[in-house]
Amino acid sequence: MADVTDATTLADGPGEIGSGRPDVRAKEAGAADAGGKGPGAKGDSGGGTGRRWNDGLIARHAFGRKGAAGAAPTVGVEGIDENDGTAASTEVHQPIGGTYEGPLRVRLDALRELVGLSRTRIEGTTLTEAGRVLDEASTRQRLSSRHTVVAIAGATGSGKSTLFNALAEVPISEPGLRRPTTSAPIACVWSEGAAGLLDRLAIPGRLRRRPLAGGDGDEELQGLVLVDLPDHDSAVVAHRDQVDRVLALVDAIIWVVDPEKYADAALHERYLRPLAGHAEITFVVLNQIDRLPGEAADQVLDDLRRLLDEDGMALGEHGEPGATVLPISALTGQGVGELRELLGRFVQERTAAARRLSADVDAAASRLRSVYVSDGRTGLGERSREEFADRLAWAVGAVATGEAAEREWRRNAGRACGTPWLRLWRWYERTRTPGGGVPRAEVIVEDELTARQRVEQAVRTVAEDAAAGLPRPWAQAVREAAVRGAVGLPEALDELAVSAGPPSGRPARPAWWPAAVLAQASMTLLQIYGGLWLVGQIIGVIQPGIVPPVLVMLAGIVGGPLVEWACAAAARGPARRYGQDAERRLREAAAGCGRAKVLDPIAAELMRYREVREQYSTVSGLTR
Amino acid sequence: MVTLDVRPQLIDALSALRDRVAAVRLPLPLDGTPRARQTREELLAQLDDYLVPRLRDPEAPLLAVVGGSTGAGKSTLVNSLVGRRVSESGVLRPTTRTPVLVCHPDDCHWFDGVRVLPHLTRVWMTQQEEDGAAGAWSGDEENALRIDTSVALPRGLALLDAPDIDSLVVRNRVLAAELICAADVWVMVTTASRYADAVPWHLLRTAKEYDASLVTVLDRVPHQVIDEVSRQYAALLTKAGLGDVPRFTIPELPESAGGGSGLLPTTAVAPLLAWLTHRVRDPAARQQAVVRTAAGVIGSLNVRMPELAGAVAAQYAAAVRLTGAVEEAYATERERVRKRLKAGAVLAGDARTRWRGYPRDSSARELLDSLVESLAALLQCAVAAADEQVTDAWRREPASAAVLTSGPDREVSERIGMAVRRWRRVVEELAEEEIRLLERSAAPDPETVAALLAAVLLGGHRTRVAGERLAERIGAQGALRLRDKGGDLVATYIDDVLHGERDRRLAPLDALEVAPEPQAELIAALSVLQKEM
Repeated sequence: MADVTDATTLADGPGEIGSGRPDVRAKEAGAADAGGKGPGAKGDSGGGTGRRWNDGLIARHAFGRKGAAGAAPTVGVEGIDENDGTAASTEVHQPIGGTYEGPLRVRLDALRELVGLSRTRIEGTTLTEAGRVLDEASTRQRLSSRHTVVAIAGATGSGKSTLFNALAEVPISEPGLRRPTTSAPIACVWSEGAAGLLDRLAIPGRLRRRPLAGGDGDEELQGLVLVDLPDHDSAVVAHRDQVDRVLALVDAIIWVVDPEKYADAALHERYLRPLAGHAEITFVVLNQIDRLPGEAADQVLDDLRRLLDEDGMALGEHGEPGATVLPISALTGQGVGELRELLGRFVQERTAAARRLSADVDAAASRLRSVYVSDGRTGLGERSREEFADRLAWAVGAVATGEAAEREWRRNAGRACGTPWLRLWRWYERTRTPGGGVPRAEVIVEDELTARQRVEQAVRTVAEDAAAGLPRPWAQAVREAAVRGAVGLPEALDELAVSAGPPSGRPARPAWWPAAVLAQASMTLLQIYGGLWLVGQIIGVIQPGIVPPVLVMLAGIVGGPLVEWACAAAARGPARRYGQDAERRLREAAAGCGRAKVLDPIAAELMRYREVREQYSTVSGLTR
Repeated sequence: MVTLDVRPQLIDALSALRDRVAAVRLPLPLDGTPRARQTREELLAQLDDYLVPRLRDPEAPLLAVVGGSTGAGKSTLVNSLVGRRVSESGVLRPTTRTPVLVCHPDDCHWFDGVRVLPHLTRVWMTQQEEDGAAGAWSGDEENALRIDTSVALPRGLALLDAPDIDSLVVRNRVLAAELICAADVWVMVTTASRYADAVPWHLLRTAKEYDASLVTVLDRVPHQVIDEVSRQYAALLTKAGLGDVPRFTIPELPESAGGGSGLLPTTAVAPLLAWLTHRVRDPAARQQAVVRTAAGVIGSLNVRMPELAGAVAAQYAAAVRLTGAVEEAYATERERVRKRLKAGAVLAGDARTRWRGYPRDSSARELLDSLVESLAALLQCAVAAADEQVTDAWRREPASAAVLTSGPDREVSERIGMAVRRWRRVVEELAEEEIRLLERSAAPDPETVAALLAAVLLGGHRTRVAGERLAERIGAQGALRLRDKGGDLVATYIDDVLHGERDRRLAPLDALEVAPEPQAELIAALSVLQKEM
């Protein structure tokens, strides 16, 4: 780990100042994070070397100095910031986020990949939010990481401006009773270098202020950028729009509520519920507790906690991460000191920006959930594939073809090995029955050999099977892939039916066939021979002797059918094999064609979905 | 006591209108549907809870509903007006969960029946409860209305403490809107820190739209800024065109937040009470207050009824579009099936092989089997394709969400298979009958005839030979007769199958019973009302 650190330090040490290459830095931070799972990961400043950013010479010097002075007041990753004093005007860029950086970077990359992969599959509007998060993340990462932008938001008359002034210790924002008071966001900056951040919030120069004595007195608030917002429930719509715009961009939010308005539907339904995932960067302060008599303040505070809990916002109690709730009175100053302290610690941690982005990614991921995740089993089962092949085989008529081939073979065998007399009789039978003659060869050229409807149905069924359990856009993509692949499938199958069908002309004959034919012929010859012999005796050419010719003839008469029967029995096996061969050939050809044209595109689409699904689980942080 | 001059015809017209509105169904989720449903609910609430009872009993007490945002001090205000803790007030929000109605003991009979707010069950305050701690009431009864009496109120006035209009509890919000609909006088309470909030202003604008008798109370104003805030509020009201609305300002007192007795001193609420008392006591003022609100509501019907009728028409249009999509899809598929049948699509694949092998390599039964199966496949394919088209078309319609079926129907193929087997049976019977007519010694096998007939009917031009063979077997005339009968059969069965499936698909939509009549009825009821006014 030390080697790696040194190498990277050397590699981009001097070129670092003002260059701002967040990617390299991010990987480093990720590596440092990954490597630092030892004792240092706990985050106390003594053992914190594992988590420390390795940001070049200045940082190391600074850290050394600070470590020597023993003046590190807060935990974590702050070594680098001493350059504020020495080179305050030089903006050394640091990636935001500290320990949050590594996982956040991975998730942002995954989100980017996800958006890229699914842009063609999912409507643009669905991805807008994710795109916005990505844009904001990259914008925020380019800007100062030493600053934490905290917005003070609340309802009319809750005392946002009073709190703002109390924190800044100078009357900057003018509180008033005329409603609404603050009409544009006002910023207060505790240290230099936040111009970019304020530009991003579109706060004009005349509304950027400094706290008392330029903020030099507040060591712990160094890096804080406080923004006073207009009322979120103002009757003036423009104010509400301002609030919504700024809230999407800041690193943390202080919600100021008062005993009268803490249960407003507008606050909870419009803001706190949607931002419930942002609990870690949320402070909820109950202002104006001086207006509440006695223990009423505690009651209200408990009720407020209950409401926040109902909103789904985690509360940061007992050291768990979550929203901070505390009672204050901006007017009397009660609780403001505590808030300053909390804010100071929060600001010095420098993780707010990353936590905010992380929460944004969470929110985007949960909103995209329905598009990427469904609880059904996905993928195309072996059974569906087989069914598809079966249907295609039906469509080209493989079974019937096989049976027809088998029967033709047997018929041929029968014709070859049958007794001539039997054949003669059959021919006579055929000519006798009407319409039973040998069918004339059809001359119609058939163009559509395959059953179109069966192919269509097969494609539809397999697409449905594949799309089952997929989220809607992906199911649609699978179906489209199947339909696209099915174009031209019937024609291809038509060709197959011709080329892979049973070969025209006579099927191959088994080796015993000539012998059988010979045997049958000899039986016939025996009959004729025996007959001739008898005739010869009758006309007296040959010596009479009834027994031998009769025996010879009988042998022929009995042997002929015997041979025929034996041949039929022997032919059954090969005939079946021949038919099955024909069927298999056609079936395999059809299945292969279907696989290439339909199943492969579907599989590719499913593969793409799986890839996207994986990216999604990275984004939603499940693989962390 | 001055009464409104109301003719019974007007009440009849209003009742008829109310029934029409109640009969409106808005089952399809269109863009404007939530709003239309809300309009319907509101109309019903106003007609049931306010307009009809008010016109029936013009001398009933004036109902002043106190409404406003959370924490505006509504309950404290009502308590102070009555001079006793009748409504729960406190620092925790929302406080008032069950609305409380306070009236003079003599007016009680007006409210104990179902004359107004018929769907809220009345809860009477017993004496002990009144004596007991005010905060100890169980306030979570569903749909309850607590009724309390007080001699501090003048006769003919009833105060109703409504839940918060912007409550976090949705039920409270709905209830608040409903109660405000029932008011003769709307008392809007807001505070120094709230008067610029969006929600109360929305309500104020609604009040203006309905031209209701309105009075606003600016509550909990700190002493030091009372003038400035009051001026500012007046300016905002004037800007919104509500400059003539009576305003009352009540300063912030320790009692506002539940300190002390929880009641504001009488001096703080005296002007408001005086104003309300004046409304009740002075016949002219009362007449003005009542007539104004009633006329405002009736006037607003002119806008809202056509709106509702429009929504009903939109529902019907959407239903027609959905039905049209289904019918078109099935008609297209029917046409396609016919065309393919003529082209001999059934005689493909297996059936074609059988046909070519017939009669040497395949039997009549096999031929018939394969033909029937092929026909079933054709029909299944047509139905599936039609369903696909319907799904596609419906996806573009938001209204289809109400009638979407879950996934493809697995029983379709069974139903089709059954229909086709039935067809086969009929064809076989036809063939048998024809053969029986045949007076020939060597009668052909019925199965052969049936198979040939099926081949003729389903094979299109591909099986011209089959016709000849059929004629050879049973004579040209018989063959012709069979072909005609069989052709009709095929057409009938295909139509039956496709129509059956189409109707199945339309059944959920038909069950919603979206009809065009309610629209016309609404407009008719409105014009009757307009004639009566």
